[in-house]
Amino acid sequence: MKLKVYRYHKNMENPRYDTFELELKPGLTVLGALFQFQQNFDDSIAFHYSCRGAVCGTCAMLINKVPRLACRTQVESLLNGDLKIPLSFYPAIEENVDWNPKEEVLVEPLPHLPVIKDLIVDMDKFFDYYKEIEPVFKPADSTPKKERLMDPESIPELELYTNCILCAACFGSCPVDGNDPEYLGPAALAKLYRFYIDPREANGIERIKTADMPRGWWDCKFHGNCRRVCPKDVPPLIAIAKAREQLEKEGEER
Amino acid sequence: MESGGDNVTILKTLKHNEEISVASTVESIHYHDVLIIGGGLTGLRAAFQVSNSGLSGALISKVHPLRSHSVAAQGGMNASLGNVPGDDDASDDWKMHAYDTVKGSDYLADQDAVEKMCLEAIATVYELEHMGTVWSRLENGKIAQRPFGGAGFPRTCYAADRTGHNALHTLYEQVLNKNFPIYEEFFVTSLVKDKGRCIGCTAIEIMTGKIHGFISKAVLMATGGFGRVFNRSTNALINTGDGLTLALNVGVPLKDMEFVQFHPTTLYGTNILMSEGARGEGGILINSQGERFMEKYAPNSVDLAPRDVVARSIEQEIREGRGFDGGYVHLDLTHLGSDRIMERLPGIRQIAMDFAGVDPIEEPIPIQPGQHYSMGGIDADINGATMLPGLYAAGECACISVHGANRLGGNSLLETLVFGRLVADKIIDYINQTPEPDIQAVQLAINDIESKIKEVMGRKKSANIFSVKDEMTETMFQKFGIFRDGQTMEKGLKEILNMENKFSHLTIDNKNLAVNQTLVQFLEIEGMLKIAEVVARCAIKREESRGSHTRTDHPDRDDENYLKHTLIELDDKNLNISYKPVTIGMFEPKERVY
Ligand SMILES: Cc1cc2nc3c(=O)[nH]c(=O)nc-3n(C[C@H](O)[C@H](O)[C@H](O)COP(=O)(O)OP(=O)(O)OC[C@H]3O[C@@H](n4cnc5c(N)ncnc54)[C@H](O)[C@@H]3O)c2cc1C
Ligand code: SF4
Ligand code: FES
Repeated sequence: MKLKVYRYHKNMENPRYDTFELELKPGLTVLGALFQFQQNFDDSIAFHYSCRGAVCGTCAMLINKVPRLACRTQVESLLNGDLKIPLSFYPAIEENVDWNPKEEVLVEPLPHLPVIKDLIVDMDKFFDYYKEIEPVFKPADSTPKKERLMDPESIPELELYTNCILCAACFGSCPVDGNDPEYLGPAALAKLYRFYIDPREANGIERIKTADMPRGWWDCKFHGNCRRVCPKDVPPLIAIAKAREQLEKEGEER
Repeated sequence: MESGGDNVTILKTLKHNEEISVASTVESIHYHDVLIIGGGLTGLRAAFQVSNSGLSGALISKVHPLRSHSVAAQGGMNASLGNVPGDDDASDDWKMHAYDTVKGSDYLADQDAVEKMCLEAIATVYELEHMGTVWSRLENGKIAQRPFGGAGFPRTCYAADRTGHNALHTLYEQVLNKNFPIYEEFFVTSLVKDKGRCIGCTAIEIMTGKIHGFISKAVLMATGGFGRVFNRSTNALINTGDGLTLALNVGVPLKDMEFVQFHPTTLYGTNILMSEGARGEGGILINSQGERFMEKYAPNSVDLAPRDVVARSIEQEIREGRGFDGGYVHLDLTHLGSDRIMERLPGIRQIAMDFAGVDPIEEPIPIQPGQHYSMGGIDADINGATMLPGLYAAGECACISVHGANRLGGNSLLETLVFGRLVADKIIDYINQTPEPDIQAVQLAINDIESKIKEVMGRKKSANIFSVKDEMTETMFQKFGIFRDGQTMEKGLKEILNMENKFSHLTIDNKNLAVNQTLVQFLEIEGMLKIAEVVARCAIKREESRGSHTRTDHPDRDDENYLKHTLIELDDKNLNISYKPVTIGMFEPKERVY
């Protein structure tokens, strides 16, 4: 098999693609293939890694034109065509690179964020938007002596959103983010919703008003790419739809 | 105070693509009262405390804090909340927690530190709840608790099997909310010692390759474990033990480095952890003959005996031919049913499916033991203070010694938060009575790092640094793994020394300093080789079996000669070993039976 990798650093005029041939062994992940590239082909390649177990969220990149975690993506499954994810179109996933998906894996940086080097993108914007929605618990009451009680029934819905690992795969898959760089994006909105539905918070509708603006809840066009690429099955779409519903209802009541 | 520093210029020649010279100037020297190195749970909890004190602090981390290894912790965190009654309706308390911890440690833990941790545990779990962590809940709305290995009560509080993720995100949210300065993707290269105290550090800003100096009145090491010194490890790839080498290099001793925990259940192939929570929920271990072999090794606790016991049992089954081809046994959850697996162990299921193509609802999971935790670390007292004034350590990089010779599952997340907070308090006191540091030593330290990098870059290429790393991790697992003996270890030590020697002549191809991850790995591997040597020397010297340290040539625990902590320090180029007593408290050493 071959790994075809996007290469860029700021002294280069245009990016280029390097192709590296390696042996396909069972269990080889894209991250594993990148390490082989680094160790045996060119040690100047740059990519993010940490947990190698799909929990830290640092290795999202565009793999065969789909944003995914490199550590979780099995090369064999890609070559077999098992991991196809149909996405609503946006420019970054245009088939503009010559590559043979039967024997090559194409690896490019995550779209919609500036490339620093090779597969490393600058995540500042993603985290700025995250910060903008004030991701911190704002409890309703003063601190009790023991734990606040929580109905176990309320946990599964919350977990849908607390499971987010802030990998930004959704950000790199969202056609709206591509179009409108100011759009807060699926992850930040899903995070805001997580706090809104936390029964221990009592800011009610005020909480979701933080994103009651064109570049917040209202920018989403329900393409649904975010949900399809999310490695943790977080459903930003549902959060967005429900938040809008709440805001609309309140608008009518007033 | 923020000064520009001297404009030291390093000229580098790029061998790649074309010949370009890159000039990297020393950007700046930064001043903060307290520096926290590490953005995992320990570092973030300390940052929160420092931020509340009003002192100026900063956190430095080689990865974005959310990518720290703490995020991967699965099973939970221990505290004797007593939310779930034990057998016969008995109620848990912190003394029972302390007893289990001390017994689990094979009596090598310092009991004053254990008592403190177990006492503080309850408030610590509540505190996370108050900060917003979504803990799993019981029907009555209280925080849920599950049984864990070596514990007499269902004491482990959990957030499904993503406890570390939930805790780390909560703390990051809290620290972000305080606008605490974070130097992200800065790789710390040295600690600065001046007039007998620690006054800062140097670091490479990975994205630009610039070298920065940091001046402070105190430094807290919160750099995590060194698991990646072994080739089968559950740890994140970044767990290279840098903090320990940094400490060694300023003459600070490391403690109990021979005690390395091997987790019994890591996924065959990738060694990703399959949490002890899986057995806590009722999972069982089965060998290739279909036997539930733990009944033989630990008749009372069976599959939930402590980690050292279970890991040895599995390894023995495999060695005696009762494993599956390739060297693994089965962790069977199928009898738990899909509802329970989906509710309590969704992360485990996902990992097994993604990385082994196995759905635990339908089939057993192939598992084998793998390196998991570093009990040893920077020698620190109950306040986190090291021998060097101004230098503190907490979390997995430290050995305050709450885990002794074997850590109990769920006690490490606890340690990070308890000591992240308590040690920060001690630092805050220390700072208020400490004079201003002198900038000059930091400037010199920057020069040293620059010359060192220049020297490394100027070497002639003779071999691949990554192959030396592979040799090292293989030697460590094979010769200093679950079962050890003097002869094999002596051979292993020789191999490690040869590798160190070989490595000292190696270089890397990429000579460009900006975003040079191979340079970072070069520095990590250099440090790991030293740690490998340290582990080897300490393990050879301890001629007994205790906790995780199992010697086939000395199978018994020997309290008369070895109920003591090992200290090792770097003196010039030599590693010297000495010992110090263990603090015994409420619990007299007894034989450990499960
Ligand atoms: C898979 C797994 C599951 C676990 N599950 C549990 C569990 O259920 N319960 C439990 O109690 N314990 C568990 N543990 C153990 C526990 O997770 C760790 O011991 C704990 O999280 C360590 O936290 P820490 O803050 O000390 O270090 P870490 O979280 O490892 O953080 C270290 C930090 O130091 C920084 N750093 C390191 N070197 C440098 C350098 N040179 N320059 C700059 N920064 C540096 C890193 O960037 C990182 O931010 C588990 C461990 C593993 C491997
Ligand atoms: S919602 Fe999913 S894809 Fe988006 S950042 Fe979170 S985990 Fe990643
Ligand atoms: S390396 Fe952590 S998610 Fe891929």
